[in-house]
Amino acid sequence: MHIPDSFIPLTQAIVYWVITIPFIFMSMKWAKKELDEMKIPVLAALAAGIFAIQAMNIPIGMGTSGHMVGATLVAIVFGSPWAGVLVLTLVLLVQGFAFGDGGITTMGANILNMGVISGFVGYYTYAALRKSTGTSIAAFGGAWLGLFISAMACAVQMYIAGTFPLVPGLMAMGTYHLIIGFIGEGLITAVVITAIAKSRPDLLEDSFTARPEKSKKEAHA
Amino acid sequence: MSGKSNMKFLYAGIVVALLLSALAPFLASPDPDGLESAAGGVIEESKMSELEEMEPAVSSPMPDYTIEGMGKSGEVMAIAAGTIAVLVISLGFGKIFNKKA
Repeated sequence: MHIPDSFIPLTQAIVYWVITIPFIFMSMKWAKKELDEMKIPVLAALAAGIFAIQAMNIPIGMGTSGHMVGATLVAIVFGSPWAGVLVLTLVLLVQGFAFGDGGITTMGANILNMGVISGFVGYYTYAALRKSTGTSIAAFGGAWLGLFISAMACAVQMYIAGTFPLVPGLMAMGTYHLIIGFIGEGLITAVVITAIAKSRPDLLEDSFTARPEKSKKEAHA
Repeated sequence: MSGKSNMKFLYAGIVVALLLSALAPFLASPDPDGLESAAGGVIEESKMSELEEMEPAVSSPMPDYTIEGMGKSGEVMAIAAGTIAVLVISLGFGKIFNKKA
């Protein structure tokens, strides 16, 4: 979903930067407040892993492929969508400047879609679902919806840019990203979150979405 | 969180990320992604070729995760270099923002 420079006129691309910069600023405030020696290795591992997995395009049929975005995964691990914005900003910076994957002028829009929209929608969907569905299904649902909504936002931006017609653009982006979101985002996020919940529950328990067992365990300790 | 096992998490993350970097050039689908595929379907051909011919605003050293003249091994190195760059930037960023040390 990396928008190249040619898909958005410069003036509109600047508008998306202006919208996105406060979110990047807030993610840095989050980092300043939350990051410590315990969390930095986890953040770095997730950032490197997300960069690498974004190179792994999965075929989804119809001559199309897609890859994970990862903002929801990071947000769930850290219990904050700002963590997702931060990691996706770092990943998109390297992708844009070193590899021409996503434009430089359109990086604001790309951070807005993949960092902010997918991370916020994904994280709060997860938070809303997890009490009734459990961690795995909530992680799946959040990641899937987060990716889908960000693709819809991207289609609207393409329409405003005069690059895509509105309805066919929404239909095409929606169809592809429902599938990409199911496999590439939902399943991978659910598997990773479930694995972390089993092997390192303390990582997830750090956040306010901590599972209820946390307080019990601490009470015993 | 215990600091020691978080370093283990970091090392495991690095191993997984580098493994993905090495495999991606061989396993990743070469098909266009969702946005490119949608563009191919909904944009008129003449306009599409016009868009494709436009140069990016800033040229990148390793466009499309390739190193010129190095084929698949160049792709592995490009993606691995990107993975390591993201790792180093994240750790550096963490250092700057970690005022609690």
